[in-house]
Amino acid sequence: MLKFILRRILVMIPQLFILSILIFLLAKAMPGDALTGQLASNPKMDAQTLHELKQKLGMYDPYYVQYARWIKGLLHGNLGMSIIHQTPVTSLIAGKMWNTVLLGAAVLILSYLIAIPLGIIGGRWTDTWADKMIVGYNYLTYATPLFIFALLMLFIFGFVLGWFPTSGSVDIRVENGTFAYYMSKLNHLILPALSGAIVSTTVTIQYLRNEIIDTKIKDFVKTARAKGVSESKVYTRHIFRNSLLPIAAFLGYDIVSLIGGSVFLESIYGYPGIGQLFLTSIMQRDFSVVTALVMISGLATLIGTLLSDIILSAVDPRIRIE
Amino acid sequence: MKKKHLFKFFSLLVVLGLLLSACSSNSSGGKKDGKKSTTSTEKAKEDIGQFPKEVKNDNKVVEDGTLNYGLVYDTPFEGTLNYAFYQGDEDAKVLQFFDIPLFTINEDYEMTNDGPATYELSKDHKTITVKIKDNVNWSDGKPVTAEDYEYSFLVIGNKDYTGVRYGDALMQSIVGMKEYHAGKAKRISGIKIIDDKTLSITFEKANPALLTGLWSYAMPKHYLGDVPIKDLAKSDKIHKKPIGFGPFKIKKIVPGESVEFERNDDFYAGKPKLKSIVLKVVNPKVILQAMKKGEVDVAEFPTDQYAAAKGSKNFQFIGKIDLAYNYIGFKLGHWDAKKGENVMDNPKFQDKRLRQAMAYALDNKTVGEKLYHGLRFPATSLIPPSFPSWYDENANGATYDPEKAKKLLDEAGYKDVDKDGLREDPKGKKFKINFLSMSGGDIAEPLAKFYIQCWKDVGLDVQLVDGRLAEFNSFYKMVQEDNPKVDVFAAAWGTGTDVDPYGLYGRDANFNYSRFVSEKNDQLLADGHSEQAFDHNYRKKVYDEWQAYMNDEMPVIPTLFRSIIYSVNNRVTGLNADHEIDALGWFNVGVTSETPEVN
Repeated sequence: MLKFILRRILVMIPQLFILSILIFLLAKAMPGDALTGQLASNPKMDAQTLHELKQKLGMYDPYYVQYARWIKGLLHGNLGMSIIHQTPVTSLIAGKMWNTVLLGAAVLILSYLIAIPLGIIGGRWTDTWADKMIVGYNYLTYATPLFIFALLMLFIFGFVLGWFPTSGSVDIRVENGTFAYYMSKLNHLILPALSGAIVSTTVTIQYLRNEIIDTKIKDFVKTARAKGVSESKVYTRHIFRNSLLPIAAFLGYDIVSLIGGSVFLESIYGYPGIGQLFLTSIMQRDFSVVTALVMISGLATLIGTLLSDIILSAVDPRIRIE
Repeated sequence: MKKKHLFKFFSLLVVLGLLLSACSSNSSGGKKDGKKSTTSTEKAKEDIGQFPKEVKNDNKVVEDGTLNYGLVYDTPFEGTLNYAFYQGDEDAKVLQFFDIPLFTINEDYEMTNDGPATYELSKDHKTITVKIKDNVNWSDGKPVTAEDYEYSFLVIGNKDYTGVRYGDALMQSIVGMKEYHAGKAKRISGIKIIDDKTLSITFEKANPALLTGLWSYAMPKHYLGDVPIKDLAKSDKIHKKPIGFGPFKIKKIVPGESVEFERNDDFYAGKPKLKSIVLKVVNPKVILQAMKKGEVDVAEFPTDQYAAAKGSKNFQFIGKIDLAYNYIGFKLGHWDAKKGENVMDNPKFQDKRLRQAMAYALDNKTVGEKLYHGLRFPATSLIPPSFPSWYDENANGATYDPEKAKKLLDEAGYKDVDKDGLREDPKGKKFKINFLSMSGGDIAEPLAKFYIQCWKDVGLDVQLVDGRLAEFNSFYKMVQEDNPKVDVFAAAWGTGTDVDPYGLYGRDANFNYSRFVSEKNDQLLADGHSEQAFDHNYRKKVYDEWQAYMNDEMPVIPTLFRSIIYSVNNRVTGLNADHEIDALGWFNVGVTSETPEVN
């Protein structure tokens, strides 16, 4: 097992290297640069100064020189400077990453809390009216675009009922680190997390339900029943555990999605996170931010798949990785 | 029993889900209806002149009130909180509360002597002497000194400076600035400190732009001076703990989403009326709800939602004409980077009658009324009416007149020879025009289509470059590089507070994207910022003539002037539409009730 993990980690190095070249070239292939947008609305700039500024920022260097500079910084943990925000990318990302991970984790946990019971009910009592409702719910949430649903949730629970705050991640007027501060964070988190969770349960419910229906008629379940194991034990011990396998396999990927962030949730709820920063940086051609974020999510994906494999082998004794 | 509960809960959830999705289809239906009804009431045309510039509220101001400011923006703001370094508008909106310019301004944005500093011009108009008032102090208690003011020039001119403020021609014309910028001098010889609070700045030549374009922000040298200039932009002293001498100071920042300001009791002009201001990022999609709920007291309101917001009872609008205009430019030549000047060598649109005809063909009145609910209106000049002294009220823009357009085209020889409904060029060849227009927003597509239709109506065959709208960056790349695929392009300029159009239309101005040059244009632009132009009447005459000249030559067609509106809760008092650029803009603002009015 340990050997396997080590080998996988070693393979990651060339993978990341190729990824870095691809990202860099693709980013540079986009038309325009970080100064294009800034100058479009700032006519007070003569050609000479613009030229000088580009030179200072190294924009005229050949690609391989720029790449070497970037990769050298990367190896030293320096992700470069954001031209738009005039600040190091590391500190730019660090602050937002926590919010994104927090929101992502909340969405993930809530969606499992909703999806697993629903999947079990649907699978165990197939074709009852409850099951039909669950399948209906599944279709509906699958078809509902997040940005509309999030707006609707905000409108109802934020504005009309006034149960939750309508923007931000924390009330600025509470003292940092106090109990009230954490409660305020939680309070700001519920609505966006719930909006994200409700529309992202489809896959889990569907897999779980199908898996239970399949497992229900397998031989080992029949054997268990024949041995006189009680019905509830058959479900909890035998069927449920086996049916969770595909979901466990997904967990690794889900963790990757944590750091990707959700553009819609963040933007609608004014929740400062990575997703929105990524999108804006692409539009503004703030290359150092874009490349840094893609590299990070690339790394996370590689780790996520590895994690999935490890989880899978841990929960399924039939799979043993050598 | 327990299971049953669980079951009930989940069926409830499902029902709730059904209910919510039912709502969602309802609400979208409602939206559609809403749109329809606004189209029918659109005849009641909005005139920007109808927006009061100042908020109306005669009630008594509450002591120590708190105001909520909505920063309407769909991205977390980063907070480069310094005038020399910031790049996005959203940062300027945070800056306005705690850091202010040294001068107040009049309605033409010229400096006046009612602010934190006073100035005097020398007889030859080349030297300005600035005296900072005695009681002007940074929010940490240290006085604002002449050295602080000099320091901001030293930062911007420094060779390690990475911001965009050095490009300003006025900045570069300070005596000794170029030597300092090249690293040949330790100080700027034209800037002399006379005493603690007084300094003089000498320019290479007299230029009336000085009164509107002089850099008027000081930087706290005692606070920032120990940070090397190349590290200044990323310093926490600018991002997290900036100081200023405005009516408020920063109490707390939650990165990307909110800022809490508290009153600066030491403010030079007296005690500001509000005790604190809370600024919060609000997504444009929800700003209307936030206004109605009273969660936000003041916000720059997105004009595309104005129709839906009109008639709300708990808040009012104030507004002004924006320092900007939209235009359609003709590519008449290219930029010669070696010589650093524009060359007018593209034959396609050299006949000014063709350019005029294309201007007369555009029905901008309909565009303003139908697409922008009257918040944009036909532009008549390249100087927007937001400069009341310089804008020529009688400027003869090309008002919609398709017959005249056709006549002009006939005269110029563009006739429909092969009877296909589209005109051929004077040599009888097919005449195709490639139009570059930018994507973004809901209006971009219908607007581009409308213009193309307008031109088609007078017989011109206009098509979008590559058959589609161009994304922002590609758009500017093509325009800046004079891509031969582009014949005409639709763009916009923010003018800033300096009226001088030289930077946008001069012979050696890279931003002169149409590449139009002429002796007369050179002459008029030079006259407009000559020493003689310190005389208002003379300058007015020159700019009137320039506006008429450009309307005749029509190298670019001014299309729309725009308005900027602020939504303000009824409890707010003392706010005017210039608050963002006025040094005393927030000083007099108060609230007349502890809680906001709710719709």
